[in-house]
Amino acid sequence: MLLPALGFIALMIGFPLFDTLWLSLQHFSFGSSPRFAALGNYAQLLQDTKFWQGLRVTLALYLLSLALQLLAGLYLALLLHRTRVLRGLLRTLLVSPFVMPPVVVGMMWLVILDPSLGIANWLLGLVGIAPALWLASPDWVVPTVAMIDTWQWAPFVALILLAGLQTLPPDVFEAAAIDGARGWALLRRVTLPLLAPSIITAATLRSVDLLRFFDIIYITTQGGPGDASQTLNIYAFKQGFVFLDIGYASALMVTLTAIVIGAVLVLMRLRQAATW
Amino acid sequence: MNRTATRLLIAGFAACLLGEASSASAQGFDWKRHQGETIDFLTENHPWSNAVVAQLPEFEKLTGIKVQVDTFQEQQMRQRLVTLLQSKSQTVDAFMSLKSLEGRLYAHAGWYADLATLMHAPGETAPDYDVADLSHALVAGETFAGRLDGIPLNIEGPIVYYRKDVFQKCGIPPPASLDALMAAAAALHQCEPTVIPWATRGMKPALPYTFSNVLHNFGADYLDAAGKPVLCDPAGINAITWYADMLRQYGPPGAVNNSFLQTRELYGQGRAAMAFESSNEFGEMMKFPHRQDDTGVMLLPPGPGGASKPTVIGWGLSLSAFSTKTPAAWYFVQWATSKEMDAHLALQGIAPPRDSVANSAEYMAWLHQVPVRQDWAGLLKQMGATGTSEVGPPLDRQPQAREIVGDAVDSVLLGQASAHDAACNADKQIAAMQAEK
Repeated sequence: MLLPALGFIALMIGFPLFDTLWLSLQHFSFGSSPRFAALGNYAQLLQDTKFWQGLRVTLALYLLSLALQLLAGLYLALLLHRTRVLRGLLRTLLVSPFVMPPVVVGMMWLVILDPSLGIANWLLGLVGIAPALWLASPDWVVPTVAMIDTWQWAPFVALILLAGLQTLPPDVFEAAAIDGARGWALLRRVTLPLLAPSIITAATLRSVDLLRFFDIIYITTQGGPGDASQTLNIYAFKQGFVFLDIGYASALMVTLTAIVIGAVLVLMRLRQAATW
Repeated sequence: MNRTATRLLIAGFAACLLGEASSASAQGFDWKRHQGETIDFLTENHPWSNAVVAQLPEFEKLTGIKVQVDTFQEQQMRQRLVTLLQSKSQTVDAFMSLKSLEGRLYAHAGWYADLATLMHAPGETAPDYDVADLSHALVAGETFAGRLDGIPLNIEGPIVYYRKDVFQKCGIPPPASLDALMAAAAALHQCEPTVIPWATRGMKPALPYTFSNVLHNFGADYLDAAGKPVLCDPAGINAITWYADMLRQYGPPGAVNNSFLQTRELYGQGRAAMAFESSNEFGEMMKFPHRQDDTGVMLLPPGPGGASKPTVIGWGLSLSAFSTKTPAAWYFVQWATSKEMDAHLALQGIAPPRDSVANSAEYMAWLHQVPVRQDWAGLLKQMGATGTSEVGPPLDRQPQAREIVGDAVDSVLLGQASAHDAACNADKQIAAMQAEK
């Protein structure tokens, strides 16, 4: 039984990874023959201002989105945990954003947030707020994309945390109540520490997606305006499939993969430390 | 390729075909010669291919050749195509190709089959297949290093759509120069503050299509005769300034992210008084209420560079150099780009690449049904006769070259750089690309 599993892993995971790694060591553009470059693509990457800009955008989008999704997800989970009516319906509604295809989500928000044609600015105008550029502003595009992703994925975080809340031992809360713990103190000193493993699990799952952020940006801004929303993944895609520079795109992807694996390892360590 | 060389080339093709035609006519053309073969056709989801694919049973009946069609969105089609061609795959025989974007690279890589060789092959070309009838500018766009790598399928280029009723109400004549166009935008802004005076592309990869027309009308170019980048010359800087100023001062908010989609919607919905967008969008724009009655169309007015130099491009139908079924695939090309097919497609709003179709009674009758259609068709004719297919710096790696141009214009539009710095920086990057060769 072990051999087929190993064969499957080698074929489906190992081969593409090693092939990408090998390609990253080549000067290879579609339309020409590959030449061995050793670490040339990685040296180019270190001097490429667009790589560093992409890394900054990737990290900013990651940290902002993760924070927003954990906060919104926790808030929703606590609300649902206390709700006694229509729980099934509310959970179904919660699931609906993240089962939507990213293309649909991207197109939907693109139309809503269009500065000239969208309903968002019209609604702002009704309450006397000046129209915003949203995705067309270099300063606001990252927060706006983070907001869209939070709209889609905070419910997913909420469902994980809700499952975590439902497994917390009630006697701890009873003891805390006898000791007079209420409200914010109860949340900070009892609920959150007990819920930490679930929070870190949700953070790990979202980190993998957020560091590889692609679809919503590709649909809404294609990395613009300028390069203001060009994540590493978008930049690598452009290098590979628009500019056809497969060697350099592979070096970018290997670097991004290393960042994702690094983040996951850190979060797994945290998860172990938080287990009670 | 200059116009004289293009004419000579076309005359050469025509002479070859004429010779071929006389022998073929004598013997009768054998459409069943490749009966029983199957060819693979990779295509974009495009009005041209959708209309042609609907007629495929007719081709299969005529020739006995079966056509397997793979249709993708443009970017996805290109991804699949380059992967197949790079691996010298024989699983694609015919494909749509946008030469202004990828032609140099594909030709340089040797991915296109030489169509002239197929034309010369005895008995392989129908006697009534008339290459000389195709637009010279479009044939030039399909020709690389003197070799015909594709047959043009349509003709398109950016044109100015304007609201005649709004211009009339504000007492503004249709602008006759780029200066007058900017003045008209300013006057429209005063007269109709709720209407956006000017809408065009601001998104980085999309804007070279419209910007190049402005650049050429300013008398500027991407490279000089010696191949040196010259966007940083005064005319180039003025063109960037004009393009960015028009969008910043008179364009829609957030224009930097706009492509054809937003421009079409803004104009179609009556939110914009002028739109500088592809002639291909004519059909869609005219579907909006009232636009068919209140729209005027014109080429981008001339600027300091003299007469207007419209951008004209078109999709082409090419064959893979790695195909083992090029004779059968060439039959498909002949059928799909024949006069009869072009005439059929023209009545569905696909601008014909053939002069005979553009002048045919049927097409004329269709145009005469609505006055603005005639103006639109007149512009297409003008573009075909005088246009240039240079959409970005003429380098093999067009997508990178266009990205550099888009970066330069957008950095000015966003106020991140002066036009001088943006243009000079673009020249440096283009020179670096040239040096990489």
